[in-house]
Amino acid sequence: MLALVVAHLVVAAVLPLVSRRSRRAAFGVAAVLPAATLVWGFAHLDAALGPGLEETVTWSAALDLELGFRLDALGLVMIVLVGGLGALILAYSAWYFGKDSRDAPRNSALLLAFAGAMLGLVLADDLLTLYVFWELTSIASFLLVGQGGLHRANRRAAVQALLVTVFGGLAMLLGIVFVGESAGTYRISEIVAAPPPGGVAATGVALILVGALTKSAQAPFHPWLPAAMAAPTPVSAYLHAASMVKAGVVLVGRLSPGFADRAEWWVPIAVLGLVTMLIGGWRALHETDLKRLLAFGTVSQLGFLMVLFGSGDRIGEVAALTMLLAHGLFKAPLFMVVGIVDKVTGTREVGALSGLGRRLPGLAVAAVLAAASMAGVPFLLGFLGKEAAFEAFVHQGGARGWVLALGLLAGSVLTVAYSARFLWGAFADKPGVEPVDPRRPAAGLLAPTWTAAIAGLVLGSVPPLVNALAQPYAEAYPATDATEADYHLALWHGLSLPLLFSVVALAGGLALHVGRDRITGVHRALRHPLSAQRGYETAVAGLERAATQVTGRVQVGSLPVYLGVLLCTVLVLPGVALVTGGTWPQDQSLVSSLLQLPLGLIVVAAALALTRVRRRFTAVLLVGAIGYGIGGLFVVDGAPDLALAQFLVETLTLVAFVFVLRRLPAHFDTQNGTGSSPDAKPHRGVQLRKAALATVTGVFVAVAGVVLTGARQQPPAASGEFVARAPEAGADNVIAAILVDFRALDTVGEITVLLIAAAGTASLVLATRFDRKREAGGGTPEHEREVLG
Amino acid sequence: MSNREPVPFAQWDEPEGEWTLPGACPVRSNRTLMLEAAARFLFPTVLVFSVYLLIVGHYAPGGGFPGGLVAGLAFVLRYIAGGESEGAEIGSRFVVRPPVLMGLGLLVAVVSALAPAAFGAPVLASAKVSFDIPLIGTVDLVSSLLIDIGVYLLIIGVVLDLLRSLGSGIERDAREAAGEEAGP
Amino acid sequence: MITINVTMAVVLAVLYSVGFYLLLQRSLMRILIGIVVLGHGANLLLQLAGGPPARAPVLGTALPEEFADPLPQALALTAIVITFALTTYLLALGYRSWVLTGRDEVQDDLEDRRVAERQRPEGSMEADAEGPDDEEDPGSAAASDRTDEPAEVSGSGAAR
Repeated sequence: MLALVVAHLVVAAVLPLVSRRSRRAAFGVAAVLPAATLVWGFAHLDAALGPGLEETVTWSAALDLELGFRLDALGLVMIVLVGGLGALILAYSAWYFGKDSRDAPRNSALLLAFAGAMLGLVLADDLLTLYVFWELTSIASFLLVGQGGLHRANRRAAVQALLVTVFGGLAMLLGIVFVGESAGTYRISEIVAAPPPGGVAATGVALILVGALTKSAQAPFHPWLPAAMAAPTPVSAYLHAASMVKAGVVLVGRLSPGFADRAEWWVPIAVLGLVTMLIGGWRALHETDLKRLLAFGTVSQLGFLMVLFGSGDRIGEVAALTMLLAHGLFKAPLFMVVGIVDKVTGTREVGALSGLGRRLPGLAVAAVLAAASMAGVPFLLGFLGKEAAFEAFVHQGGARGWVLALGLLAGSVLTVAYSARFLWGAFADKPGVEPVDPRRPAAGLLAPTWTAAIAGLVLGSVPPLVNALAQPYAEAYPATDATEADYHLALWHGLSLPLLFSVVALAGGLALHVGRDRITGVHRALRHPLSAQRGYETAVAGLERAATQVTGRVQVGSLPVYLGVLLCTVLVLPGVALVTGGTWPQDQSLVSSLLQLPLGLIVVAAALALTRVRRRFTAVLLVGAIGYGIGGLFVVDGAPDLALAQFLVETLTLVAFVFVLRRLPAHFDTQNGTGSSPDAKPHRGVQLRKAALATVTGVFVAVAGVVLTGARQQPPAASGEFVARAPEAGADNVIAAILVDFRALDTVGEITVLLIAAAGTASLVLATRFDRKREAGGGTPEHEREVLG
Repeated sequence: MSNREPVPFAQWDEPEGEWTLPGACPVRSNRTLMLEAAARFLFPTVLVFSVYLLIVGHYAPGGGFPGGLVAGLAFVLRYIAGGESEGAEIGSRFVVRPPVLMGLGLLVAVVSALAPAAFGAPVLASAKVSFDIPLIGTVDLVSSLLIDIGVYLLIIGVVLDLLRSLGSGIERDAREAAGEEAGP
Repeated sequence: MITINVTMAVVLAVLYSVGFYLLLQRSLMRILIGIVVLGHGANLLLQLAGGPPARAPVLGTALPEEFADPLPQALALTAIVITFALTTYLLALGYRSWVLTGRDEVQDDLEDRRVAERQRPEGSMEADAEGPDDEEDPGSAAASDRTDEPAEVSGSGAAR
C-alpha cells in the first residue's frame, strides 16, 4: 500500500515534464493511478470486507516508529471516493482547464500528489502515519486553494484553510501522543480494541477531536470551507467535497468503535455535528453563488456525517458509511455541473442564469439525479442512507435519540430546500431574467459528471451492493437487539416512522423552497454581527498585534537591558534553587593562609576602584593590579604553573591594552572630537540599579561557589588518577602531563582558538587602514600582503 | 666629547649609534639608552630562559605556554625599546612572518597528535624513550614534548602577530592620522 | 574540607560584581575590562574549587596526598590563555569601532525600536485582507483558461 502511495507522489513529481508536452495529457496521465487504485481496492474486496489487509513498513526501529496501513470496509469506501472520483475529476480537469492554461501544470501535479497523500490517510492504521498524511493533505489544500497567489481571495482563503486545519492538526498531534502513550501503542486497530482509560487519554481524545472537527469544517471552524471556493472548481469538487474534508469524519469513524460510549467523544460530536448541519443548510438557502451554495451544503452534510459516525449505533454506522459514499457520489457531480455551467455561460450567479434547463437538458438531468440523491429521493443512494439514519435514532429512542432524529429531520428539510434551490437556480426559467445562451459543453466534461451521477442511481437502486460494504464496517459495533442485528439497507422497510420522516423532509423542503421569499425575509431579520468568519479574523488580527507587541517589549535592542534580563534570570532560577535547596557549610574558615588576606585586599581594592575611575589608563593599571593579585593567590594556593601563566599573560594583556590606548581618548566619556556627549553620562538612578543588580549577582556567584564546594564530600576521583598515572606520561609535573598528554586534545583545540583570535585581531586592525580610505585599495595584493604578514 | 652642541635634557639618554639594535630603527626620537641597553642584554638571556621553561615543563612548573609567553615578552621588550618597526622583523635581521610561525606551531602540534595513528596507536598517544647521557644521567624523552614545542612556537607567533597588528599597525594609523591633520 | 573560605568568597563576590557592573555599561572599553575582570574571577573560582592551599602537584617535591587538585589547575591554565586571546580580539574590535565611528559606545538597535512602534507585523495577513477584492473571480472557469501570457485587461467573465 505504501508503494501505491509513493507511486502517486513520484508520478506527481515527474508530471511537470508531461505538462511541458501537453497540459491536457498531464491530467490524463494523472488519472491513471487513482483509477488503478480503485481497481486494486476491489481486487482485495474479500480481504477488505473480512479480516482486513495489513501492511507494516518499519520507519525507524530505534524510535519504534512504523508506517502501518490497513485496508478495511471504510478504507475501501474512501478508495472509491479518492481513487474513483479522483480519476473522474482529473479527467474532467483535462477539459475544464484551457488547453494552454497557466494553472494546469501546477494543478495536475498537485491534485495527484494530494490523491497520494489522501490515499495514505485513509489507509493508515497507525496514528502517527495518519498524522503525517493528514498534514500533507492540508499542505496540498493550501497550495491548491492558493493557486499562484495572484489573487487576494486565493491567498486569504489558502491561509485561512491552512491556519484552521493545521491548528487542529497540531492539537491532534498532541492528542495522538496522549492517547498513544496511555494505550502503549499507536496502532488504531489495537487502540480501538482496548481503549485506554484515564484522564490523559480523555484529554487526548478531545484533542484528536479538535483536529477532526477543523478538518471536516464543523462549526465554529467551518468558514474556511466556503472561503476555499476561490480554488478552481475541480479542486473544490475533489478536495472540498469528495475527499479531503471527509478526513475528519473518517478519523471519527475509525476511533468511534473504541470511544463512542464516552461522553467526551459523542457529546461534542453530536452537538457540533447537528449545529453544523443546521447552520450549513440555513446558509445554503441564501447563497446566490451556486458554488458557495454547494459549499455550505457540504458543510451541512459533513455535520450530518459527523453525527452518524459518532453515534456508535449499529444502524447509525450503516447509515454513516452509506451517506459517506452517497455524499461523494452526489456532491462531486454537482460541483462538476457548476463547473460546466460556469464554463458555458460565464457565470454562477443564481440571478443571472435562466432557461439553461431547456437549452442543456442532458446536463440538467445529471444535475437532477445528483441533487435528488442529496435530497433523499427514493431509488437514489442518498435515500438509503437517510432512511437508515432516521431508523437508527428513532430506534435508539430516549432523549438523545429523539433530539438527534428530529434534528436530522430539520436538517434534511433544509437539505431538500437547498437542493431544490440549486436546481431552480441553475436551470429554471426565471421571469424577468434574460435566458442565457450557452455554448455546448465538451463531452470530456459531461462524461465524468454523468458517470458519477449514474453510479449514485445504480447503487441506490440495488441496495445489497452498498449493504455488502456497510455491514462489515458496522459489525464493529455490538447490536443491542434483533432489529439492529438484522438491519440492512433496502428501498422498502414497510410503512414506518423513518419513511414518514423522509416524506416530511421532502415535502417540508419543497414547501420551504416555494416560500423562499419569506425565508429570505427571516434571514435578513436574523442577521447578526456574531459570525464564525469574523471570529477567525479577529483571532488572527489579535494574534498579529500580540506578536508585534511582545516583540516590541522583549526585543528592545539595548545591550544592557538584555544583560540585565539574563542576570535576573540567573538570580531567579538557580538563585531560588540555591536558597531553597542549598545548605551553608559548617566548616567554613575565615582564611586558609594568612597571605590570602593582603592579596585579597589588593584585589578587592583595585576592583572597587575600577568602578570609580574615569581615565582609561588608570583602569587598565587597576586591571593589572587585579591580575597580579590573583597570580599571587595562585602561588599561595600551590599552583605555580597557574601563577606563572597568570603573571605572563597579565603583562602581555597590559601591553596590548596600552598599545590600543595610545589612540583612544584619555577618559571613558570622551568621544572622538565631540568631547563629553550628553548621553554618555547615564542617569544616576540607572547606574544605581545596575550596581545593585551586579552586586546581587556577584554575591550569588560567590555564595553558589561556597555552597557547591561545601557540598562535596569525596576528593575528586579523576585527579587522583591523573597523579597516579603522571609517571607513565614521563612527567613529574602533573599539570604538564594533563596538558600535553591526558587532555592533549583540549590543548590542540586551545591553540587553534589562539591562532584564530590572533588572525582576527590582525584582520580587524590592519583592514581598518583600507576601510577609511576606500580608494586606497582594499582587497589589492598590497592589502593582502599586509594582512597576511 | 669635544665641542658638540649641548644635548637637550629630554634626549640626554638617546643613543647616537645603532649599536644596540641590529635592525633598522627608523625613528630616532623616543629612544632611551637604558631601555635599549637592557633589551640588548636581556633579549638573548630571556630567550634562553624561555627554552629552559619549555624543556623543564615536564618536571617542574613551566611548559610550552609559559615558555612561549616569556619568549614573546622578550620580543615585546625589543619592540618597545626599538620603537616603531615596519612589519615582521621587530628590530631583528632574522625575518619570520608571524602567521607562518603560528601555522608552524599548529602544524607541529597536530602532526605530533596524529602521528601515533600511523603506528597503529590511538591518536594523541605518547611514547617515552629513556637513555643515559654521561655526566648528566638518565634522560627521558617523551614524544608529547612535540606538542609543547608546537604550543611554544604558536604562542610566540601570536605575540609577534599582536606586535604587528596592535603595535605597529596602530602606530602607523596614528602617524597617518597625524599626517592628514598636518597636511591639508 | 574543600569549602571556599570567607576571604576568598568576598574576593569572588567583589570580582564578579565589578565584572557584571562594567559589563552593564555602554562603553566598549569598560565592557572589555568587565570581561577581563570576570575572567579573573572565573579563573580564581576554578582554582578555589579544587580545594584549599596545598603543595604544587609536582612528583618528588611532596607526597601525592599533599597535592593540590591538578585538574582544576589545568583547566584554569587553559582558561587564562583563552581569556587573553579573547581580550586581544575584543581590543581590536573596540579599536576598529572607534576608528570607523569615532566612538566606542554600544548603541541601541534602532530597528528594534521601530518594531516596537508598529501596530502589526510586516506582511500582515490582516493588512492583506483589507481593501477591495480583485475584479476577477479566481475560482471561475474563465480564470482557469488564463494562459501563461500576462493577463489582458479585458476579457474578464466570458470564457475564450
